[in-house]
Amino acid sequence: MEPLKIPATGRTPEVDFDFAAGILRLSGESYPDDVATFFGPVFAALRSFLEKPGDHPVRFDMELLYFNSSSAKALMNIFQMLETAARAGRSIAVTWCYEENDESMQELGEDFAEDLRHVAFTLKQVPADGAS
Amino acid sequence: MTFNLFAAEEQAIEEARLLGERLSAVAPEVRADFDALVEAFKRSTREQRRLVRVSDRLQAQLGSANQELERRRQEAETALADLRDAQEAMVRAEKLASLGSLVAGVAHEINTPVGIAVSCASHLSDATDRLRARAQAGELSKADFTRYLTTATDTSALILANCERAARLITSFKQVAVDRASAERRAVDLSRYIQETLVSLEPKLRQGGHAVAVDCPDDLIVDSYPGALSQILTNLVMNSLTHAYGDGQAGRLTIVVDQPDPETVRLTYGDDGRGIPAANLPQIFDPFFTTRRGEGGSGLGLHIVHNLAVGALKGAIAAESTPGEGTRFVVTFPKDTPPKNTPEDPPPARDDRA
Ligand SMILES: Nc1ncnc2c1ncn2[C@@H]1O[C@H](COP(=O)(O)OP(=O)(O)OP(=O)(O)O)[C@@H](O)[C@H]1O
Ligand SMILES: [Mg+2]
Repeated sequence: MEPLKIPATGRTPEVDFDFAAGILRLSGESYPDDVATFFGPVFAALRSFLEKPGDHPVRFDMELLYFNSSSAKALMNIFQMLETAARAGRSIAVTWCYEENDESMQELGEDFAEDLRHVAFTLKQVPADGAS
Repeated sequence: MTFNLFAAEEQAIEEARLLGERLSAVAPEVRADFDALVEAFKRSTREQRRLVRVSDRLQAQLGSANQELERRRQEAETALADLRDAQEAMVRAEKLASLGSLVAGVAHEINTPVGIAVSCASHLSDATDRLRARAQAGELSKADFTRYLTTATDTSALILANCERAARLITSFKQVAVDRASAERRAVDLSRYIQETLVSLEPKLRQGGHAVAVDCPDDLIVDSYPGALSQILTNLVMNSLTHAYGDGQAGRLTIVVDQPDPETVRLTYGDDGRGIPAANLPQIFDPFFTTRRGEGGSGLGLHIVHNLAVGALKGAIAAESTPGEGTRFVVTFPKDTPPKNTPEDPPPARDDRA
């Protein structure tokens, strides 16, 4: 399946979904003017990827450092999709990155993991990038 | 009792559980669908909790970003205020320094003629005392009297010349400290005003056979301090007559007015005299710089011109000269002098009657 690559803009994150390798990455900041326009294509690609049968393990790296409420809801929907696929037998791992000293982001990660039973969830501390 | 933001949701879930149990008894076939519904509601409640936390986090971030912004704004404002203070202090220090050097210069300049006058006067007074003593003793000879007359004539001439020089210096000094508030601001037709100024210089010009060519647009109205303009022009013309030409040499003076832009007037004054040596050019606007010390030059003329151009007209002046060919002064100033709003100026008189 074709990879999905969307470069970051001021308000939207970088999307790097390498479906062939099974490595999906969302990084940067996310507060799009219109969630539907931005996340619509992301959902569509992810859904058709997960629908196709395959036993290649999938890794999802959540590297958003800043996101608004609608992006948070979009993220929960993505997690739900991954959880459904994992329950169906797919091997899926989610890594939630947070900057050191950002405790509230770490706690959010724990919260977001609450509904993941079949997905392997890890929290990962990354060095704080003073610039962002 | 602890406060629970989601108490109502939790109660609904508990009620749903009880309802589910009753449902198993009465309609077991819908139990599975009902449980799925309850499960969806539970998840939705969890998501709601998460969203509240996300939103709280965002608010907190916004709050601290605003605080940071406010802190930086205050920092910038303080820095700006400090800078302004420093600038004002610098301007004040500069003014004091230039005033100080002006006063020292004036004192020094005036000291010479006053000193000469004092020693001449005391010499005359001594001679007079001696003459009176001889007259009272009845010993006054004709030779004594003639000698006294010579002394009196010489010394009184010196006293007069030096007192006049001191008086001239004081007049010039008063012009340096020209009271700009009393100088009248009004709108004048520049071309006509230049002509009027030249009329008063006419006798001096005619004496040396000098010619002045004026090229100034008609109907150019400037709203400024014409007195300052006139004095600038007078000083420049007088300098040409004094410094630029040898005896019997007739000069051609030119005054050209144009506008580099609609708000600005440029007056270019030129003579075709001997010019100013490059070494002197940077100093001609300095107070007391003169090449005619002892011959009536005080060196304040161009300093006054500079002060008037920069201070009264809010403009600028530049000089250029080619020795042997002549000298040019370019005065550039706003067509309408901007209102003064420097801190030391008194605010315009308020009219509270209305
Ligand atoms: N048009 C000119 N041509 C040649 N030299 C000039 C001309 N104007 C000024 N200077 C030189 O610049 C010097 C300074 O001029 P400034 O008018 O300040 O003083 P001054 O004429 O010597 O004395 P004051 O004007 O106070 O009686 C003069 O002494 C002279 O050397
Ligand atoms: Mg002069």
